[in-house]
Amino acid sequence: MALLEVRDLVVRFRTHDGTIYAVNGITFDVEAGETLGLVGESGCGKSVTNLAIMRLLPKPAGRIERGRVTLDGVDLIALPESEIREMRGRDVAMIFQDPMTSLNPVLTIEEQMVETIVAHRAATRADARKRAVELLGMVGIPHPETRLRSYPHQFSGGMRQRVMIAMALALEPKLLIADEPTTALDVTIQAQVLELLKDLTARLGTAVILITHDLGVVAGMAERINVMYAGFIVETAPTPDLFARPSHPYTVGLLHSIPRVDAAEGGELVPIEGVPPDQRRAPVGCPFAPRCAWRVEACWADNPPLVPLEPVSRLVATGPGATHQIACHNPPLPDEARTGRPTRPGFVAAPPPGAVIDELAVATPDVEATLVEFPTTDAREERR
Amino acid sequence: MTATATPARRAAPARASRGLWRDALVRLTRNGPALLGMFFIVVFVLAAVLAPVISPYDPIAGSLANRLQAPGTAGHVLGTDLQGRDELTRILYGARISLQVGVISVLMGLAIGGTLGAIAGAFGGAVDNVIMRIVDVLLAIPGILLAIGIVAWLDRGLPQIMLAVGMTNAPIFARILRGSLLALRESDFVVAARSIGATPLRLLLRHMLPNALTSLIVAATLALATAIIDVAGLGFLGLGPPDPRTAEWGTMLTDSTKYLREAPYLIFFPGVAIVISAIGFNLLGDGLRESLDPRLRR
Repeated sequence: MALLEVRDLVVRFRTHDGTIYAVNGITFDVEAGETLGLVGESGCGKSVTNLAIMRLLPKPAGRIERGRVTLDGVDLIALPESEIREMRGRDVAMIFQDPMTSLNPVLTIEEQMVETIVAHRAATRADARKRAVELLGMVGIPHPETRLRSYPHQFSGGMRQRVMIAMALALEPKLLIADEPTTALDVTIQAQVLELLKDLTARLGTAVILITHDLGVVAGMAERINVMYAGFIVETAPTPDLFARPSHPYTVGLLHSIPRVDAAEGGELVPIEGVPPDQRRAPVGCPFAPRCAWRVEACWADNPPLVPLEPVSRLVATGPGATHQIACHNPPLPDEARTGRPTRPGFVAAPPPGAVIDELAVATPDVEATLVEFPTTDAREERR
Repeated sequence: MTATATPARRAAPARASRGLWRDALVRLTRNGPALLGMFFIVVFVLAAVLAPVISPYDPIAGSLANRLQAPGTAGHVLGTDLQGRDELTRILYGARISLQVGVISVLMGLAIGGTLGAIAGAFGGAVDNVIMRIVDVLLAIPGILLAIGIVAWLDRGLPQIMLAVGMTNAPIFARILRGSLLALRESDFVVAARSIGATPLRLLLRHMLPNALTSLIVAATLALATAIIDVAGLGFLGLGPPDPRTAEWGTMLTDSTKYLREAPYLIFFPGVAIVISAIGFNLLGDGLRESLDPRLRR
């Protein structure tokens, strides 16, 4: 049994605009000590998945509609609020994207750290303080004794993220969810923070779910990657496998959207056309179909399930030998994955079914009709 | 020159914080208008506290033989009023009423409004809806009208005035506190605190209320200025202290309106007292707003 098991998780938001289909039945495992990367564009459901695991979805809009989440065999979704609260911090902890706003501005670092430690452990304040100093030292903050008495605004962004890491790891949780932990930081600081995160979690044996839109970040950190699109997992593979053999058109698109310095072949940038789907509509067909160059007719009607890329005798869910799985009717061939475009002779992406054509026509403004003429004579000139 | 200045400037940010409130105080003492405000308030408070020490006269009993002496007359720096009472003495004693009623009414408003706002902001949902609709109704009634209603209903008297002015402030405080609590509930650091297992009570008391408090402190200071004007306003409308002889700035204004031609100073001095004390609290309130928010640091 894996440390974290997520089964068919469905999360929806009820808003004034209607229902938002944020996460649409995803299944994955995280093994103890493993680092899993969760990659995708903004709004693809990465963060929502993890807020759902922590049961921190904004109330009352966000709801877990279906699915099972177990941590160490404990069903997190069925757990009463008081018990899930006990588990937060102790068993699962979280690091947020913006270190500038995720620390309480009116409390010193000491108050915030000691409070966390005392709340979970039967420790005296003096012991907790000692532990806090130790933790700050561990995350590389100079003069931890003095810095403990500082307020968050007296720290730089990178330092604050180190404090956040120290707080998250204070109780040595089994699972750490890092939600875009370096997005708000300078590139040089990013590398330091990632290195620190990698080093500490390896030392403590903490499993990590690393959420990011940056494939470069996961490449160096994660052992395994789930690529998410519009609330679905579209491809999952061990990191080396994913980079060597990207097999879902969306993954291929992501990889071709990053400029590469060492590109020897197919180094051209191929942007993914269009925008992510409006998640206020119930998903029909493959969510990526409207943007996909490889789509076939079936893609419009039928959303393919996540299946092994090659037939396997036994499905491996976790670890470096995990089965490479994709959800695609017409996966790009290895050659096409390299160039980022379908190269099969005579292949044309299947046009959308009738109803969708009309919709696209409505959505595309008529440029001719919106032409406006501006008089060229300038008022000042006339006055002269 | 610059060479000597640089090391000192570089050393400054490195100092350890001496606490949020201490830091705020340091920033406040560097704020010119706030210092002026504090100076006005100190004068006002000293006048109220030391009135019997400063003035040898009785604020209530005067001698008619001495009436309407012009300012500058020997023994009466600000002159005397219609009944021969020393104007300076009455202004000093008037400060007592204004200070007393102002502070107590704002505290009452804070107690009532703060509790309502905290409950609404902490619970949300139906509780929030019910409380805020009541608050909306109170807010819809003009403050001075509400105060007149309360004084008319409960009869004249200092406690009634305090309650009246307090009730006009309560819905404002409730709104401010609830608004800040709601915004804070979804803020990153509150979600972060929840993610490491903070209990709802701790979230409210340690994380949300202290952050919401700064805006409430500012609002309360500004409300003191309004309270002083409201008290004077009630006095001016004849709803002041029950004893008409009491030295109260608003009442003093009303009493003197008929003698505007002969003794304009009887309007001028109480007016100045009201303006100066109100400006004092306004300047301090603005200064507090700037210094209490660490994110607004310049």
